Amino acid sequence: MKSCIFPAFTLATILLTGGPAAIAQSGPEETPAAESEADTDPMQDPMQVVRGAKAWNETCSRCHNLRSPSELTDEEWDVSVTHMRVRGNLPASDVRDILAFLQASNNQ
Amino acid sequence: MTCAKYRSVALATVALIGLPALAQETQEQSPPDPQTAALLERIEQLEAELADLRGVVLQSTETASKAEAAAQDAVDRIAEVQDQTSPAPSYAVSPGMPDTKWHLAGYADVGFVGGDTPGPDSFVSGKFNPALHFQYKDFLLFEGEFEYATTGDGETESELEYSQIDLVLNDHTVLVVGKYLSPIGQFQERLHPSWINKVQGAPAGFGHDGVQPTSDTGVQLRGSIPAGVTRLTYALAVGNGPRTTSEGGVELMGMGSDDNSNKSVGGRIGFFPMPALEVGGSYLTSRVDGIMNPDMPVPAGSGLPLDARFQLWGVDAAYTKGPVAARFEYLKSERGKLFTATDEEPDGVLLPDLKMEAWYGQLSYRLSGFSDSEFIHRLEPVVRYGEFSISGHPELEEENAQNRLNAGLNYWLAPTIVAKAGLEWRDYTVPGVPDETLIQFQLGYGF
Ligand code: HEC
Repeated sequence: MKSCIFPAFTLATILLTGGPAAIAQSGPEETPAAESEADTDPMQDPMQVVRGAKAWNETCSRCHNLRSPSELTDEEWDVSVTHMRVRGNLPASDVRDILAFLQASNNQ
Repeated sequence: MTCAKYRSVALATVALIGLPALAQETQEQSPPDPQTAALLERIEQLEAELADLRGVVLQSTETASKAEAAAQDAVDRIAEVQDQTSPAPSYAVSPGMPDTKWHLAGYADVGFVGGDTPGPDSFVSGKFNPALHFQYKDFLLFEGEFEYATTGDGETESELEYSQIDLVLNDHTVLVVGKYLSPIGQFQERLHPSWINKVQGAPAGFGHDGVQPTSDTGVQLRGSIPAGVTRLTYALAVGNGPRTTSEGGVELMGMGSDDNSNKSVGGRIGFFPMPALEVGGSYLTSRVDGIMNPDMPVPAGSGLPLDARFQLWGVDAAYTKGPVAARFEYLKSERGKLFTATDEEPDGVLLPDLKMEAWYGQLSYRLSGFSDSEFIHRLEPVVRYGEFSISGHPELEEENAQNRLNAGLNYWLAPTIVAKAGLEWRDYTVPGVPDETLIQFQLGYGF
């Protein structure tokens, strides 16, 4: 069991970060807009959503309560997280991770 | 693949451990022939390789356990967070985003204020603050917010709270241009919306007519830079700055244009001694002009101070962890002697140095871990105590200088919907001014 940690870890990561979605996404018909969202492509950085969840929990509750990811659409989260980046002087890398997490968990 | 690798390592180990024993026996019986010598050499090589391999195996087992722990940690955190907000994760595909995205947000509140005050108990219509945000690609954001309120006389008051364009220059810097909430201190920029503020109303000295600037019009450079183990956040601003009021005070809000060529320069620097604690320091310097009465020009060479230096500095701290939020802010401002026309002295008057000082500490605790009752989980007691002192302006001092204690109980209907019930004791510090006790109810909704 212990010697099979790596495969288990990889599998968990893929499951956690929306492997199926990523697989569905990786078609040849990627639009330029989809490319500009490359930062949040789980296939490119499988741990991003995990980091995002952690950063969200730590950062986004500093000034106010956390809202459920399902409150906003992907587009609205994009705008709102940029708004918060400016308001809270948040580090850009955290902001990208948090956005990936919110967009991955909002049921949209 | 990994399992197979481990298997081969095990086989190699068995083979290698067996072989040297055999070789040793052979060595004792007779001097080694060239073939055996070569074999022995090969065995030595293999032994060295095996030692290396053992090292590698040990190391990777260690890395693997670390990775496993990290993965478990991440899984736990996600479960915890999803528990709190209960969305079922779908990980759905985000469709290609348009270049321009927008979001309609803001907040509103309604309420009731009564108690031992000069006025009658009354329902208050509260505020309605719609906010609009437009984002172009990922580098430009427009944000604007209005505030609408109904006055005691039934008039509708409206104010442009902020209207700014934010240009993302790089990972560490955003350029802000326009009218923005003042980055000095914390309350105005971060805490004043009624779904964020845990108490109804601002601490004494932190609202309009206080020490804390509410807004300014100008430019800001702001962002975050890594600094060793911590992180520095900064907001540096150059704006039109404060202005003298017709009562002889200082108005600290964003004006549409400047009344003097001297700009305000200031900002705030914050850092995190630990993740849950943010500590900040703010500073602002500017000059304010006296108001000129066109019918009574001040003769040249009068030696009267027609403008004065205005300076403000402060420190703040916020500790937020789980159900606890503790906040503290201190601000102090000074304006030099100034000759100005006022409502009471339209011909002009020489005002002495004006000094203002305000601070508050606030502690709130969400009772989320206290019992099985859903009702109790939603409750949050809060206390806030603050002091506001003014010297150099008797009327302002009489009206505003006070020690203020708030005690309240909030009930959270949702993360951004709160019903607040509170008591506010205002102990005015000028002798003869009667103290007030207020009972306040407010329903706030951030959307
Ligand atoms: C520095 C304090 C601070 C931090 C940190 C912060 N917020 Fe906010 N947030 C605010 C304030 C203040 C508002 C209200 C803005 C207004 O009405 O002008 C707000 C508003 C919002 C809104 C309402 C829509 C909007 O954009 O105004 C959402 C959603 C939100 N925050 C989510 C987040 C998320 C997600 C994070 C973490 C990335 C975050 N906040 C971090 C202070 C903060």
